[in-house]
Amino acid sequence: MIGAREGGLVSISGRLRTPAARYQLGLAATVAVIAAIVAAVYPQFTDPANVEVLAMNFILEAFMALGMTAVIISGGIDLSVGAVLPFAAIVTGLMLSAGVPVPIAVGASLAASGAVGVLNAAMKSAFRVHPFIATLASMLSLKGVSLVITRGAPIAGFPPSFAFLGRGRICGLPFPLVLFAVLALAIGSVLAHHRYGQQVYLIGGNVRAARLSGVKVERVLMAVYVLSSSLAGLAGVIAASQYASASTGFGQNSELRVITAVAVGGASLNGGTGSIGGSVLGVLFLAIVYNAFAMSGVSTYWQDVASGVMVLAAVLLAQVAARESRARRAVGRGNQPTTEPA
Amino acid sequence: MSFQVSDESAVRKAAPATAPFGRTPARRPAGPGGRWRALVLSREAVLTLLILVVTTLLALAEPKFLNPSNLLSVGTGMIYDTPVAAGMTLVMILGGIDLSVGAVLGLTGVVIAMSLRSGVPVPFAVLLGFAAAAGAGALNGVLVARFAVAPFIVTLGTMSIARGAATVLTSGYFLSGLPAAYVEIGRGQLLGIPYPILVVLALLAVFGFLLKRWKPLHDAFYAGHNPAAASLSGIAVGRLVFAGFVTSSLLAALSAVFMTSRLAMGYARFGELAELRAIAASVLGGASFAGGSGSILGSALGVLLLAVILNGFVLLKFSVYWQGVVSGLILVVAIALDASRRRRFEAR
Amino acid sequence: MTDPVLSVDRVSKRFGRHQVLDEVSIGVRAGSIHALVGENGAGKSTLMNVIGGVVRPDSGTVTLDGRPVEFADPSAAIRAGIGTVHQEFSLFPNRSVAQNIFGRREPTGRLGFIRWRALRRQAQEMLAEIGVALDPLTPVGTLSVGAQQLVEIAKALSLRARVLILDEPTSALSEHEAQHLFGLLAGLKARGVAIVYISHRLSEVRQIADEITVLRDGRVARRTTGDASPDDLVGMMVGRHLSDMRPSRQAGPGNEVFAGEGLTRHGAFADVSFAVREREILGFAGLVGSGRTEVARAIFGADRLDAGRMSLDGRTLAIRSPRQAITSGIGYLTEDRKALGLFLPMTVRHNIVAASMPKLVSWAQLLRFCAIRAEADRYVRRLDIRPADDQAEALTLSGGNQQKVLLAKWLSVAPRVLIVDEPTRGVDVGAKAGIHRHLCELADAGVAIILISSDLPEVLALSDRVAVFRQGRLVTILDQAAATQETVMGHASA
Repeated sequence: MIGAREGGLVSISGRLRTPAARYQLGLAATVAVIAAIVAAVYPQFTDPANVEVLAMNFILEAFMALGMTAVIISGGIDLSVGAVLPFAAIVTGLMLSAGVPVPIAVGASLAASGAVGVLNAAMKSAFRVHPFIATLASMLSLKGVSLVITRGAPIAGFPPSFAFLGRGRICGLPFPLVLFAVLALAIGSVLAHHRYGQQVYLIGGNVRAARLSGVKVERVLMAVYVLSSSLAGLAGVIAASQYASASTGFGQNSELRVITAVAVGGASLNGGTGSIGGSVLGVLFLAIVYNAFAMSGVSTYWQDVASGVMVLAAVLLAQVAARESRARRAVGRGNQPTTEPA
Repeated sequence: MSFQVSDESAVRKAAPATAPFGRTPARRPAGPGGRWRALVLSREAVLTLLILVVTTLLALAEPKFLNPSNLLSVGTGMIYDTPVAAGMTLVMILGGIDLSVGAVLGLTGVVIAMSLRSGVPVPFAVLLGFAAAAGAGALNGVLVARFAVAPFIVTLGTMSIARGAATVLTSGYFLSGLPAAYVEIGRGQLLGIPYPILVVLALLAVFGFLLKRWKPLHDAFYAGHNPAAASLSGIAVGRLVFAGFVTSSLLAALSAVFMTSRLAMGYARFGELAELRAIAASVLGGASFAGGSGSILGSALGVLLLAVILNGFVLLKFSVYWQGVVSGLILVVAIALDASRRRRFEAR
Repeated sequence: MTDPVLSVDRVSKRFGRHQVLDEVSIGVRAGSIHALVGENGAGKSTLMNVIGGVVRPDSGTVTLDGRPVEFADPSAAIRAGIGTVHQEFSLFPNRSVAQNIFGRREPTGRLGFIRWRALRRQAQEMLAEIGVALDPLTPVGTLSVGAQQLVEIAKALSLRARVLILDEPTSALSEHEAQHLFGLLAGLKARGVAIVYISHRLSEVRQIADEITVLRDGRVARRTTGDASPDDLVGMMVGRHLSDMRPSRQAGPGNEVFAGEGLTRHGAFADVSFAVREREILGFAGLVGSGRTEVARAIFGADRLDAGRMSLDGRTLAIRSPRQAITSGIGYLTEDRKALGLFLPMTVRHNIVAASMPKLVSWAQLLRFCAIRAEADRYVRRLDIRPADDQAEALTLSGGNQQKVLLAKWLSVAPRVLIVDEPTRGVDVGAKAGIHRHLCELADAGVAIILISSDLPEVLALSDRVAVFRQGRLVTILDQAAATQETVMGHASA
């Protein structure tokens, strides 16, 4: 009996027909295996304190991965998130130290971050250029802007009420983690089950066909890029709250880690596939690997090397798998449906 | 809105060649791709014009600009950026992009510096550096050519690995104490001209010539426009793409040799943002993100224009923090130019 | 006679300096099949785009149910009940059949969340209506071309289209699938759908059309019924009666030049053996998907051969890349000139010498510009490529001239064996005759030609022998005398 729902995190036997579902299952198994191995080698891995550290270390990337997933499914990429994060932190910091009330400061930062997304989408369609170039350009400009605003110096002077966002707890769990869970569920179900969210997959699968079907491609893409940069802004606000400061060094190289997580999670960089569930698994995978690194005392400088290797491995494997399935399809060309009247 | 219409609308009478800036070439240049060359030639002319305009304005606003020492510093900035831009141009002609060149530059410098400090003779140290660069380029090349992974993500990954490796090796410190023989490479002069400038000029001349007249390099234009058709026309596209990435990395290594020898130190962060300046210079010089076009001379002029602008910034005492914004904006302008050129092309 | 449900009145459209449609008027009645025929460049696609809301006419009106309509974009036309099935499918390979059929109109709950079970059920009903047993959950990317087209049609029907426009629907279908399509169309006719059927294939048009409109150079040349004879139709299309399509040949075939033995590539073709002689044209006939292009690609080194031997002039060939094939003396004029054959943004000159460059360079591999220019000029003149300006960019040329440039590229290589794949696809009748003539001249000059074509009359007219393929196997090789449409089709589809 085929399961009741097709999309989403639930996969039942009938649903495993899609390669995407099979990949997610495999990934979940891999994550479990790696976690088990690490736990065996380092018993302190399973300490609740360590688990929390593990999760919180990657919470910023996790937020950004939610938006990046949508962007990558749509066939694009957003390299500017790593620059939006510190930018939002800085804007928040400036406003707070000027005495602006917390909700307004946060709101303004998020709005400013969203505006970057608008710019990204606008540049991409106006210049008809690949999103990586458009977002590369905005990343560069934004990094420069952040430098100009701060003149290289970190910003301090945050009111204590601001600390809750980054360091508060709800029901014993860190607030950012709870917020992330809520957002992941919301965004995940919209992407997988809502008609509007599915349009992102349509655009990523065949943008021409999507347009002909009446999908308002430019509008959906604008929403997707705004989502991505707003989430990056949210990450920046939370970072500012966590460290009670804001500097241009925040989120250094985070865009690569986020892309790696989403790619590992099963999203193809060509667009059309991917899911929030997969990306969450991808973030988890990275978090565990980095945690293992930390516990084994390896220098943090190796992290960038590790990120690079992982993203190359992830995209390489994706290409090889795609090639194999294409080859298999070519062989099985005899599998044609019957065309006699039913 | 433009719609994709079928063959019927493509029936056109031959239109006279118009250069992108509205001027018709007076005489059709000889040689294959004459119309193509007309387009590119006029772009180089415009770049030269722009450079002259900017330098004139700068010289008027701040006479110190024309000081020999200032001009020399502009020139030395170009030494580092031109080889990288040349390599980037080749990769872009092939239809790709190489975001790792800056990181490879840093890594090469670090490898050479560390080898020298360990007592390795200068030639072998340099060789080791080039080997490291070639390794990075080969990794890029294999993943793109053999496995068809998108160049931007491959080189993004390699960039992270190279920069990370360089940082790991140096733990973030400057590596100094390099032997005089090595420093001489960058600081030595022939008839009053620093060696690196001579090398760069020779590189530009040879590379530019080969790109236009040597079949293996000239094939890059075919491969960039339509890799499938190029392959079916007997061009070894995969090998060409691989060679392109290796060349790009080796040129970054050359730049690293110049930088580390002139500054007499190795540092993991050398070459930061070099790839972006190289992309901007290449696009200003006529390269397109779609592949199939580009010019070495144009890219060199692009580097010069950028160097003059940035120099102007320093002279006019604009905050150094504005450089990042300006670099970003220049990239945006370059993208816009490329887009408008493509649109004009498609609209014809 | 009932009033037409869709009528186009004096519609004109100009692109740049080219008047693509000139006061075209047609009327399509409900429950009928109205065929639109014409050469390439006659305006069929543009007319279809006008009706479908992709393009706005400069003047004239489109009337639906007696009321003039103006479509701002394709979705407006879809909403009005006009469904179009284009030649290039508008499907999402990463989505299932059900999701493709419903596009943006999946059944949803109140908040907009999709009801998956309802989606699957409705898709199944849709498919049953057109007699297709397909699992609605299958990802479309894994389906055969024929199945994908059926999904396209189901999609159009789900939109409750009252007017269905089909653009060259059978170009990628097997004979069997095409007949099934015709049955489906007959059913739709009975339900009152007005069908506009655009096709090059006159035999099909005569089989199913109630009315035929012939377009020529953007104007309506003739209106007729489905009883018109093919010669008449062709005559209307070109404005002259076509003389016998078979060009004369000078000499008979000579010695064996190329032989393939037991050629096999897993999943594409198996145990293919044949030989071709000097001055001979060997036709490769067969249904779409029978493996002919795959054999060509393998011979040319573009794909790998899993088993088999090839020889040229008796010497065994080891070809692992197109470059080796070219050096050995084999050329391959690919199908799909735009994607695989030409470098559209480059000049005609660049295109002509793209494959023959090795012989136009000096010892140090430096380009010899004069030789290149001379070579390009030579072929522009010989093949009458228009405009006669080898510095024109290839993308500005018409389909026929682009094909000539592609042919020039291979003539320049001067191979011993030339494989041509669909040499006249998307080429108007006039240019087609020219290309046929050049191929025959080439054969007379000593080249062995392998002609792959889905245009059976073309194959029969030009070939000295016909090799018939079926499902990856070479079934038989027929002599010119034995090769008739019936025998070839018989072997191709048994």
